Amino acid sequence: MAGEYQTIDENSRRWPTDAVVAEIRGRYPTEPEIDKILTRKMHRRREGKGYTGVTLDQLVDGTRRLVSERLGVPVTIENAKWLSGGASKLQMKFDLDWHGPDHGDVRTETLVLRMETAASVTESSRLREFEAIKAVEGIIPSPRAYWVDPDGDFLPYPAMIYAFSPGRAKPSHDAGKVSGLGQNYGPELRAKLAPQFVDLLARLHTIDIAQITGLEHFARAELGSNLSIIRQVNTLRRIWEEDRIEEDPIMEIVYRWLIANAPPLDHVSIVHGDYRSGNFLFDEDRTEITAWLDWEGATIGDRHQDLTYAALPSFAHIAEDDQTQLASGMMAKQELYAAYEKSSGLAVDPARIVYFDIYNRYLLVILTLAASARAVQIRGTHQDVLVNYIVAVGYPALSDLRNHYLEAIG
Amino acid sequence: MIQNFDAHLQVTLRALEEVVAPALGGAEKHVVEQLMLSIASIGFVKTRLPEARRFYRMELRSCIELAGESARIAGAVDAMSTALDTAKSALADPEADNAEFEAASRRLRDDVTALSYASVGHPYQKQLEAFILEKSDALVIQYRLWGLPFGFELKPETLPAPIW
Repeated sequence: MAGEYQTIDENSRRWPTDAVVAEIRGRYPTEPEIDKILTRKMHRRREGKGYTGVTLDQLVDGTRRLVSERLGVPVTIENAKWLSGGASKLQMKFDLDWHGPDHGDVRTETLVLRMETAASVTESSRLREFEAIKAVEGIIPSPRAYWVDPDGDFLPYPAMIYAFSPGRAKPSHDAGKVSGLGQNYGPELRAKLAPQFVDLLARLHTIDIAQITGLEHFARAELGSNLSIIRQVNTLRRIWEEDRIEEDPIMEIVYRWLIANAPPLDHVSIVHGDYRSGNFLFDEDRTEITAWLDWEGATIGDRHQDLTYAALPSFAHIAEDDQTQLASGMMAKQELYAAYEKSSGLAVDPARIVYFDIYNRYLLVILTLAASARAVQIRGTHQDVLVNYIVAVGYPALSDLRNHYLEAIG
Repeated sequence: MIQNFDAHLQVTLRALEEVVAPALGGAEKHVVEQLMLSIASIGFVKTRLPEARRFYRMELRSCIELAGESARIAGAVDAMSTALDTAKSALADPEADNAEFEAASRRLRDDVTALSYASVGHPYQKQLEAFILEKSDALVIQYRLWGLPFGFELKPETLPAPIW
């Protein structure tokens, strides 16, 4: 049994040969930069190197060399500290004396080094993340991106440097949630943050792509075509093939449906890809969103992807009435969609909502039961205990995926 | 013999919770977070370890039922027979360990997925898909119950009782 469908077995998944990698690449074609990153992941895995702990001194040295090379002058890195937050990347905060991007007087600026580890919940391109942040500069509050080390020439792993953004990801009264999952902001804060949450999403999706330059590592998505969506589904299917610990037949059935039912784009948007509670910073006193983070999953595609992602149950909690499920701790799903329509002027299409409801549940299962579980198995991250904890999100997500799929097919 | 796992896990948890954690008052946030998650992970193991054998046997029974009926629908009873025989033997063997139950379950799931893959375009495709989705429901719910201590269920009170 098993036969043709089973591209690779567990042994090949753990130590993939060139032939195995080539076969998977051929079977699930995706964007060139994503193909490059996933292929790199498999090659790295084959070498059998898990994540080796790095010291602040190592990061300071690599950062100093990177910035010096980019600026063309020697620099000094001071006050380096670990920065917590985020499930997938390692971060260091530090001070740099420099003239700034505007070449003004020398000033001290606090910056953040954001570096990959050997494996991750989301294997992603630092170049794409860098370009996405650049693309929304001045439109969406986000950290100003300065330099990128896409291949880890200066640092132990690929990395980027951006400005430190003030604010907090979790409210002081509920700061214990893992990666912001199920974050409860409380009624008062929620009332202030929710409209900003919606308006910023609307602003992101209404950016005129034609006016944006610099998204060089993103494949273009065309109005009226579903090819970009099919590429995205194939990316997920490829990760499932490369990373899963065990198979589940539900995933094969849903994959076929996602390919067969991929909707053509009715509007081309920059999609954040991880738009949810826990991925933005806010000022608790001013009750204002100060920065959107984690642009590594950004893509050019369909706005409904972000909308349904923000409303996933994994990022929700039950409101004080003990009934209402608050999408990303903000508002009920239908309220979110209505507010978004009003703010963006773009329609929320029920058919596309159904599709991306399933797409995002499929994504969540893959990121947890495959990518995260595999990253932990190969000792690939700087916080395996956290990533392993997140794996537990996978079964509620799988159950929810099955139920939504059944509803969709009637 | 009094060197049992539960006692070891209990003393480790007490040391981490009552001695180590309070001593980390000024530590970096990510250090404290990793300690707290370590405590939660050990707590999970302590809770589930005594139930593990019953759980893996329940899982294998469910996979045998899934694979047996899937093979019948797909007309692939002969092709599935080796995997099914191995799984049933493991279940009947009093000396079989959890790893054997787990391996047999995984193989059956692989084989059912292969059947689903091969079913595309055949008259039985819809029937097979419907059966897989219907039969999988109860098992996935058991997985959710197994992971309850992680706290990711929105309404845990709505879940049924464990059957392991």
